[in-house]
Amino acid sequence: MKSIAYNLLGNTTDAEDAVQETFLKVFRNIAGFKGDSSFSTWVTRILINNCYDLRRRRMRRPEMTELEEGPGMDGMELPRASGTDHPLRMMLERSMARLGERNRTVFLLFEIEGLSHAEIAATLGISEASSKNTLFQAKRELRRMLGESRKAGAV
Amino acid sequence: MNVECRDLERILRDEEPEELKALAAHAETCAACREELELWNEISVAARGMQRRWESPLLWPSIRRALQQEAQAPRRAGWLGRIWPGWAATTASWQMAVAALVLVALSGVSVVLLRETEPTVPTGASLEQIQKREQQRLLTEQALREIESAEAEYMGKIDRLAQLAGPKLEQSNSALMASYREKLVVLDAAIAEIRANVEQNRFNAYLRNELLSVYQEKQRTLQAVMSEAEQR
Repeated sequence: MKSIAYNLLGNTTDAEDAVQETFLKVFRNIAGFKGDSSFSTWVTRILINNCYDLRRRRMRRPEMTELEEGPGMDGMELPRASGTDHPLRMMLERSMARLGERNRTVFLLFEIEGLSHAEIAATLGISEASSKNTLFQAKRELRRMLGESRKAGAV
Repeated sequence: MNVECRDLERILRDEEPEELKALAAHAETCAACREELELWNEISVAARGMQRRWESPLLWPSIRRALQQEAQAPRRAGWLGRIWPGWAATTASWQMAVAALVLVALSGVSVVLLRETEPTVPTGASLEQIQKREQQRLLTEQALREIESAEAEYMGKIDRLAQLAGPKLEQSNSALMASYREKLVVLDAAIAEIRANVEQNRFNAYLRNELLSVYQEKQRTLQAVMSEAEQR
C-alpha cells in the first residue's frame, strides 16, 4: 500500500497519510463490503481514491506541488527502491510524474505493482481492454520521453 | 504467424502471447523493430525496480490512535448534533467553549442529583441501610455478569458457525470466498483488539457495543459464506 501511495504522491509523508486515511475508511465502511470484488481490490480502490484526493488538495497549495527530488527533503530518509538506481529508472520516475492520472495509475499497478489487467479493471472500474489500451498509451508516452532524453544524452 | 513492422503497435497494445512471440522473431531480422522492442521491454524491467520499501515504525500506532479517536468522535458529535443542528457548522474554538460550558453545567446538575438520589450511609447507619447499599452494588455486578454470560453464549454460537464455515472457505477457490476469507481476517483482528480493551475495562458499555457490532458483522459474513457454499 505504501509503495502505491508513494508512487502516486511522490513523498513518504503524504503516502503514509493516504495509507492511514485508507485504514480509517476501510474500518468505517467494512459493513458495506459485499464481496462484489476481492477485498484487496476494494482496499486498493479506496487507497487510490485517497491518493487522488490528497494530490488534488496538495495541488491547491502551490508550495507543496513539487515532488521529492532529492534525499531528506522532508527530513526523512527516502524509501529504498527494490531495484538498483540505474539512470533509466531515475528517468522513468521523472517521466511518470508527467503522465496523466489514469495513465500513471495503470502503469504503476501493472508494471510496478504487478497487478493483472483483470485486477486493474476491477480496481479502477474499467474494462480489461481499456486497461490494456491505457497501459499501451502510458508506455508509448514514456517511450517518447525516454527517446527524447536519450537523444539529449541524459540516459 | 507472419508479422510486419506495421503490426508492432497493435501487438504491443493487445499483448497476445502468440503475437508477442512472433514479433520477437521478426525483431531478430529487423533493426528498427528490435530497437523499439528493446526499449519497450527496458521500461518494464526498470519499472519492476520501482516498488518502494521503507520502515514506518510510527505509522501503525498512529493508525490505531486515529481509529480509537474515530470510534469515540461520532458519538459526541451525534449527541450534540441532535440537540443543536448548527453544532457542526460552528468553529472548533466555539465548540470547545460550548463543550466546556455544557460540562460545567452538567457537573453542577450531577452534584445536585447525586446528593438527592445517592443512597447515603451516614455514620452510625443501621444494619438495614448498610445491607441495602451493598445489595445495590452487587446488582450492578450481577447485571454485568448477566451481560457477559449472554455475550459469551452469543459469541460461542458465532465461533461454532465459524467452525462450520471454515472448511467451506478453505475448500473453495472462488474469488468471492477469497474475499470473505480476507474480510474475516480483518474482523477477527478487530475482535481481538476490542476484546483486549474490554478486558481492561469491563464496565465500558461503548466497547461492548463495538464488540457486539463486529461480531454481528462476522455472523452476517459467515451466513453469506454458508449460503454461497450451499448454492454451489
